[in-house]
Formats: sequence, structure tokens, C-alpha cells
Amino acid sequence: MIGAAFFSNGPVQVALIIGGGAALVSAVVGVFTVLRGQSFAGHALADISSAGGSAALLFGIRPLAGFLAMAALGAGGMEAIGARQIRERDLVTGIVLGAGLGVTALLLYLDMTTTSASGAANTVMFGSMFAIAPSTIPLALGVGALALAMTAALYRPLLLIAIDPDLAAIRGIDPRLIGLAHLLVLAIAVALSAMTIGAILSTALLIGPAAAALRLATRPGTAILIAAAIGLCATWGGIALAYDSFYWTPGHGWPVSVFVVMIVLAAYLAAGPLGTALARRRMAGS
Amino acid sequence: MPPNTTTSRRAAIGLALTLAGLSQARAAAPIRALGLENQYADVIRQIGGRYVTVGAVESNPNVDPHEFEVSPKVARQIARAALVVENGLGYDNWADKIIAAVPNPQRRVIDVQHLLGLPDSTPNPHLWYAPATMPKVAQAIAAALTGIDPAHAATFHANAQRFIAALAPWNAAIAAFKARYPATPVAVTEPVADALLQALGMRIETPFTLQAAIMNGTDPSPQDVATQNALFTGHKVKLFVYNQQVTDPLTTAFLDLARRNHIPVVGVYETMPTPGYTYQSWMLAEVQAMQRAVSGRAMVTK
Repeated sequence: MIGAAFFSNGPVQVALIIGGGAALVSAVVGVFTVLRGQSFAGHALADISSAGGSAALLFGIRPLAGFLAMAALGAGGMEAIGARQIRERDLVTGIVLGAGLGVTALLLYLDMTTTSASGAANTVMFGSMFAIAPSTIPLALGVGALALAMTAALYRPLLLIAIDPDLAAIRGIDPRLIGLAHLLVLAIAVALSAMTIGAILSTALLIGPAAAALRLATRPGTAILIAAAIGLCATWGGIALAYDSFYWTPGHGWPVSVFVVMIVLAAYLAAGPLGTALARRRMAGS
Repeated sequence: MPPNTTTSRRAAIGLALTLAGLSQARAAAPIRALGLENQYADVIRQIGGRYVTVGAVESNPNVDPHEFEVSPKVARQIARAALVVENGLGYDNWADKIIAAVPNPQRRVIDVQHLLGLPDSTPNPHLWYAPATMPKVAQAIAAALTGIDPAHAATFHANAQRFIAALAPWNAAIAAFKARYPATPVAVTEPVADALLQALGMRIETPFTLQAAIMNGTDPSPQDVATQNALFTGHKVKLFVYNQQVTDPLTTAFLDLARRNHIPVVGVYETMPTPGYTYQSWMLAEVQAMQRAVSGRAMVTK
């Protein structure tokens, strides 16, 4: 069923462009997020950004702008409260996450009772990739490019902090500054994927491809490339399957998000044995 | 579909139970009646006249009735009502739980779905948009009110006949439209006014799966969105009818596209707009708006 009709379909084109951008940014940022052990922070930022998404529906502004603003605010909040210990950091993240979702609950209630935006909860939480306005493309790609540029600039100090914090301190790297910059990039990544596969599911695109790639690769650069490839395959494959599902469900079609996260899960599971086999070959080779 | 609010409903049912006893004591006062949607409440009001006090649950034109959530106030209204008119077809089935929780042998419930003999699988729940619906509802209301207050039976039946007669201008407008603009192709956002559009002889070109996705707030399929967009860009429809009570980024995008392609747009309501309308004047106004739009005398009608 995938043919010329698929690629000439307006909503599909928008989904391929914005979904691809979101997957690319999430995968690249995700590698650093997994290396730094900040998966929970990434998930929390995504959930918090849902408050921005629902506020955007309430005030009639661009959903992406809402997701972005709230995720950035959440990142700033988490960094401002500050916590060095991993355990304490999880606590702070959890507290901010709870507050953010509470605000989301209120905003979604207001969306559905004071405006005529029905289906708001579904769109914000689980995404509606085929209902994204084409006019969002420039903003989404611009913000995505900014996130990738920031990641490139942060590449060395971020890796050093992730792998050897003491050495980073000796080199004069300010961990809080780099940490805040990373959280902001993280905020952009989750805002982009929250708009495509939904706030709750955006963790899948952030963590999944990165975690699978880190099972396969030994160098960070290779991991980033593999993660990007998995993220793009999952998103574009999910879009193609959702498009195709129109023909084997009675004309309804299943949500894109479910296909995307299933492909991510499959990639992660397959990466385990594949990574072991690769490691064994490297051992034999050396 | 209404979202699940088990806790609030449980609280509401609990409150309703305690109030059930109170309702037994009142009888001589005007009959308490409740229309779960305000268009049904309006018909009760026209038939019951001064012998009833009527409440309506869903009457906020900004709110999608499908998203309605029960409050304790509503549970109390239902508990005290001697006559309840509900639409059925899952549209307002939250009420059934409260009605069942507060048993009252005196209470009469008119379920419009059952009155019309429609199966649960009926896809379009917006029954009041069909011209054949309200005359039957009016007669059922007159019969129910007669059962509660037999002394005023003649008044209730006369009022029902007067109401049915008052639908004549609307039916005449429908017949005139159908004769003048046969088989007009139309695009819609969701099925709210589909029954009326069909009565007007229009051809609804929007796939029903897209209408259902918008009505239920689920993901639309890209195929359906592309089909709908092509209706506007290819000028394959002469009219775009959208539900003003259910809008989202997708319906807004359709609206923009229709306007850019100079397709006349008519916004319709899901529940009766207030104040200033009766059921019959509301329905007539919507047909007139569609007639103006199709005739080219008004490009955009809100």
C-alpha cells in the first residue's frame, strides 16, 4: 500500500518531516541523557511539557511553543532546586514532575470545559502526528537545528562530565552551567517529540534509540549515529505502518505513536544479543 | 464518549441517594422535569407550560457534550425530577447510573433512542437533528406529563400539537431547499447535523471515519484528512458545515482551507444556543443559514 499515494499525502509529508526531526534530535540528545543517567529527568520534562501543550490549546497558541516553554521552565526549575546526589535528584525530579502533571490536569479540564477543544487529553498525552499544522514545520526544524548545534558545542564537556566528573572539574568545566545547557537541549528534544508522539510517550524516542545504540557501539560518536538511525527508522516506519493500518482496520487507522514505540522496543530488545555478539567478535579480533 | 470519572460519580450517586427521600415529599408543586440536553428541556417547557419547572444539564455552547462530567448538582436534579428526557446512544449514558442509583417509581424517563426504536449500534447519536424526532418526543412528553398530572391532560396534548405545528416553517424550509438545491455536496467536521443535511437532500462527502475521529477526539487517518482537504482544494463541495462546539487544530485547519478556497462555511451548534432560541427557531435559523450560504448571499455565517 506504500507508494506514490503515501508520499503525496499532505498529513504524511508533515508527519515525516516533523517526526523525523524530532526523532533525530531526541536520539542525539538521548545518548548524552542515558550516559549521564538522566533518563528520569528526560521523562519528567516530557510530562511537564504536557502542561504547556494543554495551555497552548487553551490560549490558542502554537502547541509546539507551549510544549517548549513549559519544558524549558521545568528544566530551569529542576536545575534551580538543584541536587548533586542521584537519589536526591530523582526526588526533586519526581516532585517537579508531579506538580507539572497536576497543572496539566487542570489545564486539560479547562480546555474541555471552557473551550470547545475536545480530544485535548488524547492529543497532548499521546500525540496526533497526522493533525500537525504544516505551518509548524519551520519552527520545529529551526528549534531542532538549534538543539543539534548546542549539542555539538557541548559535545566534549558533556562527555567528560558524564564519564569522568573529577577530570572535568580539573579541566575547569562548570558542571552546573553545562548541566543547565544540557537540560535546555533536553527540553527542546522532548518538546519536539511530545508534539509528535505525545508527552507521555516521548521518553520512548529519547531513551529507546540511545539505549539500544549504547548496547551496540563502543564510541559515543558511533552510538549517536546508530541512535539517530534507529530513531528515524522507528518514526518513519511507525508513520508508514499507521498509514497502512487504514487498510486493515475498518477505515479507522491506528495511532502512529503505538507503532513508533513498538519499533523502538523491538530495536532495544534486538540490540541486546546483537551487542553481545559484536563484543565477542571484538574480543576475538583483538 | 464521556470520560470516566468514577470517584466523582460515586460521590454524586451517594449524594443523590440521600436526596432521594426528599423528592418523595413534593407532589402538588409544579412537576420537576429535566432535559439532559437543553433542546429536550426546551420542548418539555413548551409542552408543560406553567405546570412544570424545567432544568437542563447540557447547555453550555462552549462545551462538547461528549466530554460532560457529572457534578453533585446534576445528581440532585436527576434525583428530584419526575420526568427525565435523555438522548441515549451513549451520548448521555452517565445519567443511567444516577437514575438507577436513585430508584423512584414515580419518575418517568423518556429515552429518545428507545422511543425511536434505534439499535445501540446506530453510529450518529445526534438524534434531535432529524426532522422526524421531535414530534415523537413531544407526544411522549405529553403522555408522560399526563401520567404525572392527569388533570391537565388536555393542555399537555394541545401544547404538543401546537409545538408540532410550529415545526412547519422548518419543514417547509427543508422542502424548499431540497427542491431548489438537489444533492448539494457538503463537507462536515463531525456528524452533529448529518441527519438534517440528509433531510435537505445533501450529499455528505466527508468520510464517516473522519467524522467519528473528530467526534471522539481520536487520531484521524492521513487518508481521510487528505480526502477532506481535496474536497476543498478541488472545489468538490458547495458548503462546509462545522460543529462550533467541537474544534481542535484539525477542524481549524479545515476551516482555513475552506475559506481560502471560497467554500461557504456554516457553523452549527450541538446543543441549543441560548438565549433567544426555541428548538424550532434554532433549527429554522440553521437551515436558513445553509440556504443563504449555498445561494451565495452570505459567504460565511457563524
